[in-house]
Amino acid sequence: MSFEVMLEQLSSGMLKSMMIFFLTLIFSLPLGMVMCFGRMSKNKIISGITGFIISILRGTPLMLQLMVVYFFPYYLFGWSIGGWRFPAIIVGFSINYAAYFAEIYRSGIEAIPKGQHEAAHILLYSKPQEFFKITLPQVIKIILPAMTNEIITLVKDTSLAFSISYIELFNLAQQIAAANTTMIPFVVAAIFYYVFNLIVSVVMRGFEKKLSYYD
Amino acid sequence: MEYLSMKNIKKSFGDLEVLKDISLHVNEGEVVSIIGPSGSGKSTLLRIATMLETLDYGEIHYLGEAAVEIVDGFSVYAKAKKLREIKNNFGLVFQNFNLFPHYSVLKNITDAPINVQKRNKKEVMAEAMELLEKMGLSDKADYYPSQLSGGQQQRVAIARALALNPKVLFFDEPTSALDPELTSEVLKVIKSLAEQHMTMVIVTHEMNFARNISDKVIFMDKGVIVVEGSPEEVFNSSNERMKEFLGKLQN
Amino acid sequence: MKLRKKLICAIMLVGTMAMSLTGCGEKKKDTFTVGFDAEYPPYGYMDENGEYTGFDLELAEAVCELNGWELVKQPIEWSNKDNELNSGSIDCIWNGFTINGREDDYEWSVPYVDNSQVIVVKADSGITSFDDLAGKKVGVQAASAALAVLSDEEGQKELADTFGELTEFGDYNTAFLELEAGAVDAIAMDIGVADYQIGNRGDEFIILDEHLNSEQYGIGFKLGNTELRDEVNDALKELKENGTFDELAEKYGLSDMTCLEFE
Repeated sequence: MSFEVMLEQLSSGMLKSMMIFFLTLIFSLPLGMVMCFGRMSKNKIISGITGFIISILRGTPLMLQLMVVYFFPYYLFGWSIGGWRFPAIIVGFSINYAAYFAEIYRSGIEAIPKGQHEAAHILLYSKPQEFFKITLPQVIKIILPAMTNEIITLVKDTSLAFSISYIELFNLAQQIAAANTTMIPFVVAAIFYYVFNLIVSVVMRGFEKKLSYYD
Repeated sequence: MEYLSMKNIKKSFGDLEVLKDISLHVNEGEVVSIIGPSGSGKSTLLRIATMLETLDYGEIHYLGEAAVEIVDGFSVYAKAKKLREIKNNFGLVFQNFNLFPHYSVLKNITDAPINVQKRNKKEVMAEAMELLEKMGLSDKADYYPSQLSGGQQQRVAIARALALNPKVLFFDEPTSALDPELTSEVLKVIKSLAEQHMTMVIVTHEMNFARNISDKVIFMDKGVIVVEGSPEEVFNSSNERMKEFLGKLQN
Repeated sequence: MKLRKKLICAIMLVGTMAMSLTGCGEKKKDTFTVGFDAEYPPYGYMDENGEYTGFDLELAEAVCELNGWELVKQPIEWSNKDNELNSGSIDCIWNGFTINGREDDYEWSVPYVDNSQVIVVKADSGITSFDDLAGKKVGVQAASAALAVLSDEEGQKELADTFGELTEFGDYNTAFLELEAGAVDAIAMDIGVADYQIGNRGDEFIILDEHLNSEQYGIGFKLGNTELRDEVNDALKELKENGTFDELAEKYGLSDMTCLEFE
């Protein structure tokens, strides 16, 4: 295989990895917020159940969760799962990452001093106003470094999609390597992952800088 | 007119009785200072008055409207909508300022009037600049709280409270978190408010200040009001606990 | 505002996803989805142009042409092959798939390749027979037929017990690298794979004359799916008769190993 063809192939794999990455972020960021509210709910049953779900999602391998999500419609209901492969990956990644994000959100919300809530209360902000105007902006700044870590991990974790045979960058590199008895595709894949993460770090640092207007 | 009336307030934290049957009345234009050793319950009383804390028993009225009433022997808070209206009547200045760190000085002051009270933006802005000028902070409008000294932050916090045009303004130890050299600038602002006949309830450790600006001083200890009256009456009181408290402060 | 936009975006995406899911849920009858290990040359692998090809896939293509089906090549994670087949995401496993030891687990096509499990060592290693393997490190692909033989009491378990260590690896490329680097002393694998790998890598490696066993390849269908199996069998018969099968075997250097016979 010529180097051009290999690059072309690996680029298409990269594109698929990026699809997983972006779709996972789009779904898991808000879903994490929902889980976080569930976790922090004053209702003991809701917070208990959410806490249990989060602990399972964080306590078992993502690869295993992907297999469960992909195969369970068949084994549980006998449904045909043709066409479910890619959606299953997005669902699996999204709920897994939402669990991690939920815990990060929670740590951020709990780090906001009580005085901020009392001040908002005295100034008669409504609950939604207090959350979106006072709490959330401060939480975002607090959790940004932890979020950067998690998002960089996600870039690398996209390779776990191979476990349910989704042909993304890493899987493709393996196949090309096998067919051509060479290690070069792995080197190229490593560079792709690294550059993508470099871009992610720069973007995240940009956000951090944007929020550094106050201490 | 009676702006604030608190009657028979009782509050316990677990087994600890923090307030034992306290009553307090504040008339229009009156400045009331509450003094006393730490743990006397004065801050709790303030937090109950501003509804950051709920009471166990008692009644609270603002301008004749019931925030908490006794019904069949139990204290009952007004309905949420009514309570919100009542809360519009007062503001609170915290010991730790509690400014919003992500908002500029100007936004800290104007955000609630614009977004909560839904007032005209231009009007609010103009008023805020006026307030800042009174506080001697005209040049700090675009600064963020972390760029200001403690004294400046507290003056912004006072401006923020005033921007909502409260009838009664509470102060919870407004100078306790400040370095001594910064307290005077804050006290000066409060004094000028007193001269404009702002109705105020101030929990403070600054005895001279309380003596100078108050119409009424309340000395609390162990959850009860021990002495109350004009500054002269209270500071010259022959009450043993009062004398002991003042004596300790002088040493 | 931004948050609201994001939310709308998310809802739309879920909607599209749900629609595409239901759209694909009804599988058209004229597709034929073959599950294969894309790292298993010469049976299934990626060619010069990045297309999946190999003896098995070309044969599958020919079968599809005959039956008027559209071939879908679905590379699968080998250890998940049963889940993929049972759940209907693939129609068959067609990938140098060993029948022996799995006779009752699938509906099998007629066997088409006679394969053996062999041992590959470095030419200069001094290992020439099974006896020399005593105390050595031997690699074998996880979930492979070679591993099955080496763990089977009635197979070569006795021999495997003389090894110093039996390690499992994921793909052949890594395994050969380990062999080259001396991390393992020998690799157990199919003879067809061994021929292909050694053909590519040069005579640095040799195949031991003794074979672990002899085995046959077939196409595995889900238990009960005899209808599809019979259709494929009929097509294979026709391909054998018109010479296509033998041409393909020749192309991939498997002529000596084919065993496709019909009564």
